[in-house]
Amino acid sequence: MPQRRRFIAEIAALVAASALCATIANAVAAKERKLAWVGDYPNALTVPPLRTEPAARTPPAISMIPSETGGSQELPAASPIAEDDAVVTTTMATRTSIPPAKTGEASPGPAPASAKAPDQPPAAAIRQWTLADFPARPDVSAIDISTEQAKALFDLRVPFIDARRSNVYEAGHIAGAISMPVWESDIDHRVARFYEAGRPGDAPLVIYCSGGNCEDSHMLAQKLWGIGYDNILVYLGGWPDWQKHGYSAERGPAR
Amino acid sequence: MRRTREILLGRWLTIRVQIALGAIFVAAALPKIIDPPGFAQMIYNYRLVPGAFINALTHMLPWLELFCGMALLLGIWRRTAALIIGAMLVSFILALGINLGRSHAVNCGCFEIDAAVKSREQLFSEMRWVIIRDVGMLLMVGQLVTALSARARRSEEELEGVVDAEPAQSS
Repeated sequence: MPQRRRFIAEIAALVAASALCATIANAVAAKERKLAWVGDYPNALTVPPLRTEPAARTPPAISMIPSETGGSQELPAASPIAEDDAVVTTTMATRTSIPPAKTGEASPGPAPASAKAPDQPPAAAIRQWTLADFPARPDVSAIDISTEQAKALFDLRVPFIDARRSNVYEAGHIAGAISMPVWESDIDHRVARFYEAGRPGDAPLVIYCSGGNCEDSHMLAQKLWGIGYDNILVYLGGWPDWQKHGYSAERGPAR
Repeated sequence: MRRTREILLGRWLTIRVQIALGAIFVAAALPKIIDPPGFAQMIYNYRLVPGAFINALTHMLPWLELFCGMALLLGIWRRTAALIIGAMLVSFILALGINLGRSHAVNCGCFEIDAAVKSREQLFSEMRWVIIRDVGMLLMVGQLVTALSARARRSEEELEGVVDAEPAQSS
């Protein structure tokens, strides 16, 4: 019996020492390494569906760019659409239509699953995307998009948000991407700052992380959807895919 | 048979197993202590811990690994430390096994917590190897606990023998 009591006392001492050291370490940690003792992860017990990149999609007749030979030509690197005009128009039309926080900033609650953009019949041409092709979807927290769509949105100057850790962001990210590391302690502050900038809730936003089985984009999408952003597009290929294609990138800390 | 038992539970093997296990757990704890958010992400990806407990587990588990590892290295509270390590290993094996069973690929998060991009196939193959490795470490824990228990029993018996002998001598 005294042996059992000693065993329990030793376990208690080890657990207490661990709790004490963890508390002290967390108190003195840098902000990107801090972590609250109680987290809020609504989907912690839900196994995410297996995500595959949406197939490259196709143009309706109106968006096709016929070539001289009767086929179609590739989307130019820089879209001919007046990006700023498109954004401004949307801003004017929807600034007042940001819905109030759906479930509170800190606790997005169970959000609807993300969706894939609807498939369309195949065609020979590469589509020329416009902002009108990405309407708001208040019913889902995020829509998965392909590399082609991500590149088109980048050319349309749609904001890109990087959900990865800040040290990974600093090592390399999509040019102009905003850093919102969903796992770091100041995420709510960063989200609030973005919200205060007054971007309309129905204007598209692209979120990406490390591709593969990375879930950070969808976690951040839920947070943003929870405060009224209804047009969140998740670039599934993420940073590795962007790098692979050699698209515009940069290094350095968040501005 | 008796010779094998002596080797398996002998001092030579026990000390080496104790130091190896201690070093492994200290090495495993350090990256997690340095980057709690990265480790929380790993725990979350297992999809087995209720959301409210993820951060608390993230804070506690690496320190517990460190203290148990250090206890084994320093040779104090060895049986308790080995039993806690055994319990942790059983839970890691179960967590990986459940996720393998439901085809959910996860990064182990055992010794490194950077979320390197790996394919599902790579992750599944890694998970299988980690289970085998953890079973191996569980066997080491078994050796250590059995040897230490046998030694404690022997000491008790010797102590009882001395206590019994003393009244006989004094009379």
